[in-house]
Amino acid sequence: MHNSRIVFFFVAKYHLFVTLPMRKNLLTALALLSLAMQGWAQEPTTSEQEKALKDEANSYIFTESQLDDDADVTQDVIQISSSSNLYTSNVGYLFSPMRFKYRALDQKYNDIYMNGVQVNSAENGRFSYSTIGGMNDATRGIDYASPFESNNFSMAALGGSNNYNFRASNYAAGHKVTLSALNRNYTARVMYTFGTGVKENGWAFFGTVGYRWANMNTAAVEGTFYNSLAYFLSVSKKWGYRHSLNIATWGNPTERAQQGASTDEAYWLANNYLYNPYWGYQNGEKRNSRVVNNYEPSALITWDFDINDDLKLTTSFFGKYAMYSGSRLQYNNSLNPKPDYWKNFPSYNYDVWDLTNVSNNDLAAWQESYDYWTASKANRQIQWDRLYYANQQMNAVGGDAAYFMLKRHNDNLAFNLGSTLNWTIDRENKLQGGIQLATNTGMHYQTLSDMLGADYLHNVNNYAIGTYAGSDPRVQYDLNDPNGVIGKGDRYGYDFNIVVQKATAWAQYVREKGISHSFISAKIGGTQMWRDGKMRNGLFADNSYGKSGTARFLDGGIKIGTNLNLGKGHVVGLGVGYMTYAPTAYSSYGGSAFQAAEMNNNFIDGLKVEQMLSAELGYAFVTSFMRANLTAYFNHGTHMNEWQNYYYDDVNSFTYVSMTGIEKNFYGVELGIRFNVATGLTLDLIGSMADAKYTKNTDVSYLLSTQGTVTTDILYNKGMREASTPLTVGSIGLNYNVSGWYFNLKGNYYDRIYLSYSPSLRYQSTLVRAGAVNNDGSLIVPDQTKGHGGFMLDGSIGHQFRVAHHPLGVNLMLTNILNNRKLVSGGYEQSRSNYTTDQTTGEKTSIRTYNFQKNPMKYYVQGFNFMLNLNYRF
Amino acid sequence: MKTRHIFLTIIAALAMTSCFDSDWDAPDMTNPPYGNNSIAQDEAKLVTIADLKTQYSAAIANSSFQRITDDKQLRCTVIGNDIGGNIYKQIIVQDATGALVVGINGTGLFPFLSVGQQILIDLKDLCIGGYGQQPQLGDEYNGSIGRMSTEKWEEHVKILPTHDQSQIDTLDFDVNMDIDRFCGHLVRLTNVYIGDAGYPIAPEYQAGTPLTYNGSTNGYVHHSINNQSMSKLLLRTSTYADFASWVIPATPVTLYGIATRYRNTWQILIRAEEDIKE
Repeated sequence: MHNSRIVFFFVAKYHLFVTLPMRKNLLTALALLSLAMQGWAQEPTTSEQEKALKDEANSYIFTESQLDDDADVTQDVIQISSSSNLYTSNVGYLFSPMRFKYRALDQKYNDIYMNGVQVNSAENGRFSYSTIGGMNDATRGIDYASPFESNNFSMAALGGSNNYNFRASNYAAGHKVTLSALNRNYTARVMYTFGTGVKENGWAFFGTVGYRWANMNTAAVEGTFYNSLAYFLSVSKKWGYRHSLNIATWGNPTERAQQGASTDEAYWLANNYLYNPYWGYQNGEKRNSRVVNNYEPSALITWDFDINDDLKLTTSFFGKYAMYSGSRLQYNNSLNPKPDYWKNFPSYNYDVWDLTNVSNNDLAAWQESYDYWTASKANRQIQWDRLYYANQQMNAVGGDAAYFMLKRHNDNLAFNLGSTLNWTIDRENKLQGGIQLATNTGMHYQTLSDMLGADYLHNVNNYAIGTYAGSDPRVQYDLNDPNGVIGKGDRYGYDFNIVVQKATAWAQYVREKGISHSFISAKIGGTQMWRDGKMRNGLFADNSYGKSGTARFLDGGIKIGTNLNLGKGHVVGLGVGYMTYAPTAYSSYGGSAFQAAEMNNNFIDGLKVEQMLSAELGYAFVTSFMRANLTAYFNHGTHMNEWQNYYYDDVNSFTYVSMTGIEKNFYGVELGIRFNVATGLTLDLIGSMADAKYTKNTDVSYLLSTQGTVTTDILYNKGMREASTPLTVGSIGLNYNVSGWYFNLKGNYYDRIYLSYSPSLRYQSTLVRAGAVNNDGSLIVPDQTKGHGGFMLDGSIGHQFRVAHHPLGVNLMLTNILNNRKLVSGGYEQSRSNYTTDQTTGEKTSIRTYNFQKNPMKYYVQGFNFMLNLNYRF
Repeated sequence: MKTRHIFLTIIAALAMTSCFDSDWDAPDMTNPPYGNNSIAQDEAKLVTIADLKTQYSAAIANSSFQRITDDKQLRCTVIGNDIGGNIYKQIIVQDATGALVVGINGTGLFPFLSVGQQILIDLKDLCIGGYGQQPQLGDEYNGSIGRMSTEKWEEHVKILPTHDQSQIDTLDFDVNMDIDRFCGHLVRLTNVYIGDAGYPIAPEYQAGTPLTYNGSTNGYVHHSINNQSMSKLLLRTSTYADFASWVIPATPVTLYGIATRYRNTWQILIRAEEDIKE
């Protein structure tokens, strides 16, 4: 029964993608079956419909919901799967509504390849899945390697490696139209796909186009929209038996509006868990202040050279020009226009957690504010008309704009070259190796995108005015053009390039002998980086314009793993590895080798190559009625660097914050079990219990944007945890296949969700100032704020009909069926202090009535939502 | 051919999709989105600043306050605000008969109430009183005149169509002019020497400097003008002012500012760095 099930699976799988004659199909299946039995566990039994649904869910989550490019909160999700591990193959999409991070790792530990060339940004280490969204039919062919899985394209990364196959010859022939309706961040999607398969003359063509849409009234989160076109074209030509060349190009120009986190008080006042402070009315129309525009036209040329039957060389060259901008509303010496600015809340008027000293005046003021928030929707959103009015007033007195819109641009020109040699030495021994070269020029600048009716703006650092007089040259953003008048589209505040160049060589030896499957892999690489300033910042007149010095780092690592097939379905696996990583050059998500790249050329002091020790122990068991995986892992990182920037109350300045010498442990156990309950009915148990925390306090230094000085301190972050991911997850799922219908129901439980901790609340000097000191002199470090976990029920139904002799697939996915609105998917602590500070003495002066620490910024999950897909092949 | 047609049709259709967030037109400002447009200007209700100062002279002189119960309106022009961070939670208004401080419990007032803006204030239910005999509109605070909430202010103010800085009457300051009549007025001090040359105008408190801080260790710094006795005239600058680190020159300067009073002392408040002409 077990074998026949696997045979069925492979037959079903390959029937879809390659139109081979049935007999050949069976032979292929049998051959693959024998190979699969060599592995340390088999592919979990998956029905065609289940696979389609999973594909759809994966595509949506990783490439379309665009979790990974909101700069406001860490939402770096790793797309991982595995052919051999039930937990790993399900975890990516299963827990995605809560933005589950695989092993609580940053996405930079997930290596992404395309036809064998690594395409993670050389600058920030990440790959943005959103850049391949809307082209789902093009991105389904992926080889996954979990962290200790040998593969033929890479040394598997800490967070897994993925290799997309974008060869036109990889796609099935035929047409496909997909229509989707959903109530998420977009409302409708249409896609058309066409492939020729490999023609007799050796040519193959594949193309897909798609469009995704939502407007301000249809998107799940009010005030957001989605406008995205996607295309993907691939052509291949094979000549002779040995060579083939493939050219692929793709892009998805996308314009979309964002949602901001807010406090529980705002959600309560708005009576809406999806309250979005980023939009407001202008002339009665909804306008969002945070609009992202992203387009990364990309091209990939691949040469496959089968040198002989046992020796294959794949070489790919990738290039892209990425244009990314995110808008934001800026205020200039004026009132913060955020509708959920702390001074606008009812609780600004008195300490709502301590009612002992509340006067009638306080209560009246609270009521006045409450009434204002609840009287109309417009009152709790951005009031654009007032901003235009304010600018008109400034025009009348010849002053600079009080409010304006900025765009922060992160443009990147990247070229990557990867060449991989695969040598099958004999039946038992394989050797792989290759080189990866990457260069990236990141162009980071800010432009004035909308003057909001104002006549003037000067390129002057208003934050520094006060510390320095307005006539002082140190307040100039660009001494090469002092007091430059800025108009729409002009660069403002900062303008710099970061150049990163990387070269890596790697090799892997795999041996399959008897009951063991073992590998050893290693790599070594070099990275160099520099900054090239385009403005001469007044605070750093001699150290901001032109090129910085060049920093060079050597990194690499080694990994060893083995799987032992103990017979009777028992397999154990063990892997250990030691890796080093050059520091992230620059990332708007956090992480930088530069102290304050927006201001000067300095590298961070004490910057080191990060070291990561990793180990994994796995056990798999397969019988006729169940298959199970149990894995324990441990990752220990040292010399890690982090970087953030935020307003630090106690010094009354925006600060650029470098944290060095960080140590972290990531460890946990992962379990995946599938029971075959009855014919067509399976029960899944999937879960993980993990921890990911700082194991020692950290050196911190921060640069004040108001005066350019650097202060060092100790950050008491020992015990803080990775945020915005549930560290405990559990799922029970039922899958039922009958007569071509597929049903599933999954109950998912999430817990231990931490919000991103605020470093400035935990500086030694802050704790002392706040009086958080025990009698014995030890410091009282505030606990990290948590979000609310809980239970979510998801389900799906799928069926393949035949219409006019062609298959019509219908899938309906339902998420959060019980409409649990109290689940927190992420957020961050406010970094502001509950007191004011005397700027001369540094002493605490008075306690604020508003309590920032009791008002963390949160995101709540969406309530009940659905996605309906129709796809028709012809 | 069929495929090519399908493809081209789809690409053409998709290419027609345009940006959602394109250029926005400025909103119509006929009814300014600030203040209370429903206040109807009524000539019969209009009073002058001089009228108010006369009617409530006792409250002003005693540094107490009185709530205005008459249905009266004041038409005046904004002459000072918090644009330079030196005036805080106040604006100063002036008409042909005098000037008043208006206390508003809010910051960032300047882009909504810029200098030269004519406004109409519905006086009923506001309080008037004196702070060091400087007349002030606002609300009650612990038994004396304080600031009104921003909500209350916006209920009581109407933005009028006139905005003209050039029409503001700027007096050439004379230390001996009538302090009751002219306190709060916009003034010009031509070619005057500011005391403590070489020092920043309003640094954070530092021991050992000859600077005169107001009361506590920070807040305001006082300088003499033309070596006059500081009991008669002084230049008062907040350490939070944007121009607090402007260094006082040894040469004479021309100053524009608000001539407020604290009892019988003239206290000149500069509004922004642009008020100093070197």
